[in-house]
Amino acid sequence: MREAIKEAARACLHLTVGAAVSLLCCLMAGVALFTSVVTLTVIGAGVLPESVLLLRRLAGWERRRTAAWTGAPVPEAYLPLEGPLPARVRTAVGDPGTRQDLVWAAAQLLYGLVLWYLSLLLWTPALLVDGVRTGLAGRRPVALPLVGRLAGLAADWSRTLLTPSPSAARDAALAARIEQLTATRAGAIAAHGAELRRIERDLHDGAQARLVALSMRIGLARRAYDSDPATARRLLDDAQTQAEEALAELRHVVRGIHPPILTDRGLTGAVRALAASSGLEAAVSVTGLGDHDQDGPRAPAAVEAAAYFVVAEALTNAAKHSGAARASVSLAREPAALRVRVRDEGRGGAEAGESGGSGLTGMRRRVAALDGTVRLTSPSGGPTVIEVELPCVW
Amino acid sequence: MRVVIAEDNALLREGLVLLLTSSGHEVAGVAATGPEILPLLLEHRPDVAVLDVRLPPGFRDEGLRAALAARERLPELPVLVLSQYVEETYAAELLGGGARGVGYLLKDRVGRVDEFLDALERVAAGGTALDPEVVTELMARRRDDPLDSLTPREREVLELMAQGHDNGTIARSMVVTERAVHKHIGNVFLKLGLPPTDSGGHRRVLAVLAYLNA
Repeated sequence: MREAIKEAARACLHLTVGAAVSLLCCLMAGVALFTSVVTLTVIGAGVLPESVLLLRRLAGWERRRTAAWTGAPVPEAYLPLEGPLPARVRTAVGDPGTRQDLVWAAAQLLYGLVLWYLSLLLWTPALLVDGVRTGLAGRRPVALPLVGRLAGLAADWSRTLLTPSPSAARDAALAARIEQLTATRAGAIAAHGAELRRIERDLHDGAQARLVALSMRIGLARRAYDSDPATARRLLDDAQTQAEEALAELRHVVRGIHPPILTDRGLTGAVRALAASSGLEAAVSVTGLGDHDQDGPRAPAAVEAAAYFVVAEALTNAAKHSGAARASVSLAREPAALRVRVRDEGRGGAEAGESGGSGLTGMRRRVAALDGTVRLTSPSGGPTVIEVELPCVW
Repeated sequence: MRVVIAEDNALLREGLVLLLTSSGHEVAGVAATGPEILPLLLEHRPDVAVLDVRLPPGFRDEGLRAALAARERLPELPVLVLSQYVEETYAAELLGGGARGVGYLLKDRVGRVDEFLDALERVAAGGTALDPEVVTELMARRRDDPLDSLTPREREVLELMAQGHDNGTIARSMVVTERAVHKHIGNVFLKLGLPPTDSGGHRRVLAVLAYLNA
């Protein structure tokens, strides 16, 4: 009996809050009326999206309440209200979620109050009936659980009215995805632009300048050719040195854009080469990628290059700063990402001191440009683990 | 010498042919793609093959693969591999079957004509030519005491040995006598704890590289 009373009290509380929601819906009706008037007279179109957001918050509250009561979440699907005012107004009006919320609000206004009222009416007779049943006849209470049934009814109706239709849910999911893609694409384009400018600057200040100097020396050598062979010879020596330096510079730039060994051997082969020349005892494990140089699926070139630089940087740091003799590298293909993990058994503490520095910053920037994530754990005493996830479609 | 060349870039191919013929060598055959190389080598049996790493059809490491295949089919054929960039891994693969008659150089080195021809002849004679950049990388990686205990002169001697030079060339490029070089080499081997090798050939290169790679 005590249990039954507790249950009924809980249900009653739920219905009471529901009644409060109903009152807010009533207020909302006022807001809707005001909004339609000012919107139709055009002066206050800006109010409309705000009202819709208010309605969404109210509906969101009811969803959470219903979810808490029934123990199952109520899905939510709205088109994002963004952009300039006309676009926001269009979305707010066109969103099926708005219509659904309005229908719910109207219904809630009725059933919220009615069910609450019924539950209040039920209390006195239910207590009497069940008191007699359990106290005298020793049977189970039957009237008090009816209050719970009322609360269940309220939750069921709210759920039915607030669950978005499958097509609306799909639309909202697509809209959210588009929004996310737009943002990451803008980021990728910006990163790409910055990269192009960096390459342009490298070529301009490096190889190009050296080639100009080289051409000048050859010109001077030609002029000195007959009159002063010794000077001409010295100038030609200089010119050759300049040419070699320009070539070295170009090689450096090319490696920074896309390491040639990636083209030759794929990511697996290139990472194995890095491990072999790291000066560490570095084991490489590969899952889901071609283990032998050129076969197997390949990630997009930009992703492979980023993964390569991550491994190169991590192994360089491990060899230079960690004091480790051993490291392990793993590459794994995931359904929509490439996962790179480098672990060394060194003294840890990376990022805290000198060992953090520009290398790790550069790594983070490169990975972020591809919408990837970097996780670094390096407790003092080691081990240092760098884990990078680069989203990509295979 | 009779030379077979594999190079897809027409400018560089003509340059190489000009360079070789004007220094008294004969270009027996020219390949522009990877798959052409092995049949050409089998047909002409040249004294040395000069192969570019990146070639059609895949523009990856066709030339290197052809070089490795050639070393299996024609173990006595000296091969000099040229590339726009050097990779330690490729050097290790080329030296996997021994250092006899193997060369691996940056294309840049062709510009120093005398040094390039010197390396080519060394390879053709069964010696070794390893690009200074590969050696520098190997040296930079080892930061242990024996290497640190070398004097700058001895370091230089070690680098030149690893590149495949014999004592005469080392003496000339360092502008010292061969006796001085001999003494330096003795010290290097002593300090690194390597068994003394008197021959300046490919065995010495392998011994030095094995030490650097350990």
